[in-house]
Amino acid sequence: MSDEPRSDGGDAAVEAGGDPGPSAFEPLSVEAAADLIGEIVDNVERVIVGKRDAVEHILVATVARGHVLLEDVPGTGKTMLARSVATSVDASFRRVQFTPDLLPSDVTGVNVFNQKTQEFEFQAGPVFANVVLADEINRAPPKTQSALLEAMEERQVTVDGETRPLPEPFVVIATQNDVESGRTYELPMAEIDRFAKKLRLGYPEGDQEAEIIGRTAGHHPIEELEPVTDGHTLRRARETAGQVTLSEPVRSYIGRLAAHTRNNAQLGVSPRGSIALARTSQVRALLDGRDYVTPDDVQAEVRTVFAHRIRPRTGSETGEDVVASALSSVTVE
Amino acid sequence: MSREDAVGEPRRRRWLVTDPDWSLRDAVAQPAMLGVALLTASYLRVLFHVTDVVGGTTLLAAEVVGVLAVGAVLASRVDARTALLGSAGVLVGGMLTYYLSIPASQRALIDFGAVVRDLVALFSGLSVFRLVQADVWALAVLPAPLLGSWLLALRGRFATSVAVGGTALGFFVLTGDAGFLTTLTGVVGAAAAVGFGELAPRRALAAHWDTVALVVTTMVVVTSTVSVVPGGGASPIVAGSSAPTLEGNVVDNADSVGIVGSIRLSPEVRFTVESERGSYWRVGAYDRFTGGSWVRTGETRVYDGELDPPPGPTTTVEQTITAETTLNSMPAVWKPVSVGGNVQQATQVTAEDGLRAAAPIADGESYTVVSERPAYTTRALRAAGTDYPDAVRNRYLGLPDSTPDRVGERAAAVADRANASTPYATAVAIEEYLESNKAYSLNVERPRGNVADAFLFEMEAGYCTYYATTMAVMLRTQGIPARMATGYTTGERVAEDEWVVRGLNAHAWVEVYFPEVGWVAFDPTPSSPREETGERRISQAREAGEAGIDTNRSGPGEWTPTPTQTPEDESGPNGTVGATATPDLAGIAGGQRTAGGGEVGSFTGGGPADPSGPTLPSPEEVGYGLVLLFGGVAAGRRFGLDDRLYRFVWLRYQPRDAPVPDVERAYDRVETLLAAQRRPRRAGETVADYLDSLGVRDSRVRRVAALYERAHYGGDASPADADEAVQAADALVGETTPLLGRLRRSG
Repeated sequence: MSDEPRSDGGDAAVEAGGDPGPSAFEPLSVEAAADLIGEIVDNVERVIVGKRDAVEHILVATVARGHVLLEDVPGTGKTMLARSVATSVDASFRRVQFTPDLLPSDVTGVNVFNQKTQEFEFQAGPVFANVVLADEINRAPPKTQSALLEAMEERQVTVDGETRPLPEPFVVIATQNDVESGRTYELPMAEIDRFAKKLRLGYPEGDQEAEIIGRTAGHHPIEELEPVTDGHTLRRARETAGQVTLSEPVRSYIGRLAAHTRNNAQLGVSPRGSIALARTSQVRALLDGRDYVTPDDVQAEVRTVFAHRIRPRTGSETGEDVVASALSSVTVE
Repeated sequence: MSREDAVGEPRRRRWLVTDPDWSLRDAVAQPAMLGVALLTASYLRVLFHVTDVVGGTTLLAAEVVGVLAVGAVLASRVDARTALLGSAGVLVGGMLTYYLSIPASQRALIDFGAVVRDLVALFSGLSVFRLVQADVWALAVLPAPLLGSWLLALRGRFATSVAVGGTALGFFVLTGDAGFLTTLTGVVGAAAAVGFGELAPRRALAAHWDTVALVVTTMVVVTSTVSVVPGGGASPIVAGSSAPTLEGNVVDNADSVGIVGSIRLSPEVRFTVESERGSYWRVGAYDRFTGGSWVRTGETRVYDGELDPPPGPTTTVEQTITAETTLNSMPAVWKPVSVGGNVQQATQVTAEDGLRAAAPIADGESYTVVSERPAYTTRALRAAGTDYPDAVRNRYLGLPDSTPDRVGERAAAVADRANASTPYATAVAIEEYLESNKAYSLNVERPRGNVADAFLFEMEAGYCTYYATTMAVMLRTQGIPARMATGYTTGERVAEDEWVVRGLNAHAWVEVYFPEVGWVAFDPTPSSPREETGERRISQAREAGEAGIDTNRSGPGEWTPTPTQTPEDESGPNGTVGATATPDLAGIAGGQRTAGGGEVGSFTGGGPADPSGPTLPSPEEVGYGLVLLFGGVAAGRRFGLDDRLYRFVWLRYQPRDAPVPDVERAYDRVETLLAAQRRPRRAGETVADYLDSLGVRDSRVRRVAALYERAHYGGDASPADADEAVQAADALVGETTPLLGRLRRSG
């Protein structure tokens, strides 16, 4: 699971500066990986104030090859967060504003006839970047949404019969505005399932807001943000994460948590959700400098990984409630 | 009634149905079968004992095997009702067989009334041993309950099966043939069979077997420690009940004498005798020896005039006996020929021509008896020969099959030593042998098994019943008809022709049959220790001022010429009950004479086991202990003690394994400790959350937890880690156990 041989993936690392070489990436040591992620988080925190948890979650998803859905009101720093992460890892960043008239080709790119060469040339869409911010994804029609979601799942794009791999690392950070429900297309459960995590940033707390105002008074700090690592190192950290031990008790714990949601909700967590929880738990362990996953890691990840995949039985219940019930009743062994 | 009927098939009675699902192996492999087996064993034991005494054990065993085989074959084809009706039929058939087996001469005497009387008598305590054809009866009666309960148990009808088997056992309880242990075994078996039998089909066996075990154990423990019926023949195994009196044991039991353990003497005056001669006042005799008791077989008839005198020459003795307390027996000089006085109407004659009071003789009442005392000479006895009548031969030579051969061998050896060539010489030799080789004591432990064998080879002391039993058995092994007689010794002579007889004069001796002479008494009990014991008891009682131990004519020192010093009949035969007050004095003298020659008393083989060796517990004690153990285990399980004990040991002792499981268990121990002291870890709580929530600061606990996380979730632990974790856990556990902790600290 840690290693998907993608020989062509390396070549397509257009702006990541990654070494195309053979597929095998030398894994970092556990300590080095932990330090790396810590450095990125610290770096991002220079821009994003008081959201260390959210930054960590996004990095965990990134290292765990997942995508993130941010659900929040406008103006809470979603775009800034995505940009900071992209900048910190020295990766390409593209932003797509989803609107009701957005077409699938506006996301994936299109073949354009070049008058000079008399040939069709592929104009890569915004999806060909390491970090893609899909803003207000629920405003686009399902056809366009599915174009992006397909790219997310398969990490490749097919235009006019030609399949093109997406760069590595490839992370989609989609946002969803939940205050304006008019003229939106709610994401189907099947598509929501493809996001490893769903996060809420929330408003900054008292003092933090004052600090944000202070920092942004002159230059915006994002403009001075320097990369602390590169895509190649990040992929080595991914290798490390894949080697973190998932012992039988932990695997069984994840399985029982998922089973609990299935027994206590209209729609429970899919095996894809369980796999995502296992992967993110591995990165969480790495963050703590451990080479094995403990149930504490699982518990730290399960809310953001499971909650959005659950459709509760009653309207008064939320996915978080079901996860909370699973956490309190499933025995840790 | 039956489950098959309830299914709703057309109401057509099917006597033989073949059940395709039934299999013998499944039917037998039921825990309830064990209970049925115990119950069956209990009444089989009684029947086997009967046949052991009267013969026919092999036949009975063959019958048991046959019935079990027939049952196994029939079981798949017979339903419960058929089984019940079938065994009822078998019972009727068996009774008919028994009836036909009774000799035609006796059969003529049996009418409907006699059958009912017998039945009532059996149900009210008449031992099966008293049936003349007890062996045939056993063979006839066995198949019905055995077949019935076996078939029903094989069909899974354990309750009905127990009802059938229980009826059989209950019958033997009423006849008094089933002893304490036998009855207890049967009742425990019945309880187990019903308990397990009802649990098994409900699939509740695994959950509730301990309840049944507890009930059964309680039954055993309570019945063996608490005696509800005081003085019952079945003495409890554990609690010591007060010893019965010799008199109550020997004289009062009308149709049988059980041989018991320790016994005491009653100094109360029973009756006074006016007679021209002193003698043993005989009450009764017993012909069938069962190994542990003596039984009188045959019918008792009403006294209707003169009785036959003995065949040889006799002397007439007339006695007047006055009861000083209520008397249940009619003591008289052997052999009574006529009875006078108020009690004449209520007199019965037993099968061995003894007198018996149909109703108790009240205090102050008196009766006269005329007896024809055999007047024989030693020469007549020596010359008597062995031409015994068939009736005597049939009744008075039987011994249990289980009697060890060494009894006969010892008897033959004793006779050979004395160069005894006639029955009389053999009887004298055996009498002297017992007198001089066994000590007299009232405090003995009732031996198990054959009493004669035990007294001869294992015991060093006993009292009259033991002496008499052993001598009678030894004589029978030599083909000499003998029986045990009971009654009273002469008593205290208070005037020329008057004797006062007390309870402690109760005695047992042997009667040996000589053709042309009749029954001649031999007393193998050494007389002087017996008399000394009796006199000690009287003076004790007098000092203590007990009531009813003296008449106005008896008492210390009133009749000075002690009759023991001058036997009247100097020429009387050795060892016979002459007219002397202590008739066996001559026998003692004879014994001393022989012993002086160094002949008697030199047998050493088969003596008592080395007394210094450890005493092995008896089978009963072992069984009792096993039942207690089993019950203890069941009770412990019922109340969860086993689990607690396991946890206790588990917490305190950790055997070493591989590093990872060692660390895991060390943490489990620490967590168990924390769970007991604070609270258990909740379902969704991780190890770190738990310790944080408890606010545990102890670095050892934290360290063990950290090692555990790495071992359990990371699969990584070094031997050093394991040592550290186990030591920390040991230390933490040790601190919570005060004693253990102190030891550890001091060590």
